[in-house]
Amino acid sequence: MLAEQIRNSLEKLELEKVAAGDYGRTGYHVEVAAKPEQITAIAQVMLEQQCFLESLTALDLIESFEVVYHFACFRELCRTVVHVPLIKGKTAPTLSSVYPAADWFEREVFDLFGIVFAGHPNLKRLILPEDADFHPLLKDFVASS
Amino acid sequence: MLEPGIEEKTFYLNLGPQHPSTHGVLRILLEMDGEFIANSEPVIGYGHRAHEKMAELRTYQQYLPNMGRVDYLHALAYNHGYCLAVERLAGIEVPERAEFIRVITSELNRIASHLLWFGAYLLDLGAFTPFLYCFDDRENVVDILDRVTGSRLTYCYFRFGGVRDDIDDEFIAGCRAFITRLRSRWQDYDDLVTKNVIFINRTRDVGIITPEQALKYGVTGPCLRGSGIPYDIRRSEPYSVYPLFDFEIPIGERGDIMDRYVVRLREMEQSLRIIEQALDKLPNGPIMAEKVPKRLKPAEGEVYAAVESGRGEFGTYIVSKGDTKPYRIKLRVPSFSNLSIISELIKDTLVADMVAILGSLDLVIPEVDR
Repeated sequence: MLAEQIRNSLEKLELEKVAAGDYGRTGYHVEVAAKPEQITAIAQVMLEQQCFLESLTALDLIESFEVVYHFACFRELCRTVVHVPLIKGKTAPTLSSVYPAADWFEREVFDLFGIVFAGHPNLKRLILPEDADFHPLLKDFVASS
Repeated sequence: MLEPGIEEKTFYLNLGPQHPSTHGVLRILLEMDGEFIANSEPVIGYGHRAHEKMAELRTYQQYLPNMGRVDYLHALAYNHGYCLAVERLAGIEVPERAEFIRVITSELNRIASHLLWFGAYLLDLGAFTPFLYCFDDRENVVDILDRVTGSRLTYCYFRFGGVRDDIDDEFIAGCRAFITRLRSRWQDYDDLVTKNVIFINRTRDVGIITPEQALKYGVTGPCLRGSGIPYDIRRSEPYSVYPLFDFEIPIGERGDIMDRYVVRLREMEQSLRIIEQALDKLPNGPIMAEKVPKRLKPAEGEVYAAVESGRGEFGTYIVSKGDTKPYRIKLRVPSFSNLSIISELIKDTLVADMVAILGSLDLVIPEVDR
């Protein structure tokens, strides 16, 4: 079972939380919570387990941010979610050296939330114009609806 | 990268944003070394409509019409993906007949999407006639779907707990006639395109995606299956009533353009098989779940649901804080990840090959931009 292998490998990293997920309710097989500095090591484990980076996004929880990583696998049904709480104003390490897919995902998160990924080779706006001075997915950004 | 005046022997070429081969407003900045591409950088976002921000301002139901407008070519898969996620979050059970109708219409839509790619792609390569053939066929699907959904392109047909309208005998007869018609066309397509020596020479061993690259870039859909990995959400993460049907997952061997082309062509035949079986087994019963609240207020929590769209894995990530509006929706769109690999694929190729490679990824640019 891949989910078990992933849990066993991740448990060695001494993360905040590594637990089995309730697939029928959430769509996750493994749920992980970690500190920002641990995400690179997690990504390396996921790559060793032949998982791909499905999605990378963030949540604005008003007091703080949370960066959310989803991993899945081509061979076997197993989705891993990694929640990384991030204090506003702090940076998260980039995954682009492990997963090139993260390059664009991180640029998108930087664009829409203003989260800086330390070590990113080309961190500039991806979707909005270069001269935009706002981050639209922040909760205090008011959109005219 | 791409600072002017650093390398004197290279020059810059702007492909797009208004270029016919990009099928949308995509710009690719090319650093050319003679006729070869030394470096490239895709510039996206021209069609950004803030779908994810809109989600936070609308109730769950109000956001449904947006789903037909992210990827307008396979809108029903997006309807399906979003409904699946919300149904999981709110614990809504969908009646079996509704799931059958969802599968039938979604597969018809997949065929329409692949046919459009087929025509438009060959147009990119300079073949005009196939475009007329497949638009003739596609018109049939669009008419069938128009009858039941009420629209021809940006469908908004699925509801939480079922579908909007039931299908009738005329719809079923139309589907059966279409299946027979399209099956009689495969030979024409093969004679006209697949065995065409010009087409073969332009696509064989060009734009190869290796399985390792696909893994690192998160490439999914026919682009991934062309590289020989049988990853199809309909099979690997079964949803709806797909496990009830017998169908194959076509895969390629080399991962070049030709393989991606063959995978899409063979997938249409598999979609026909699914539709045929679904029509045979179609159960009677309600098409909507009972007691779906008018104002949906899912409990606090989060959910991720994935479906297979014509371009790959479409994932919906919803975070609920127990409100009538979602706290956050992230749309994981396949074209975004599939496009991010392009710089690597077109490095050191000719501009003409680049057009062939770009088209073979079957990108829907408004989906990339959201």
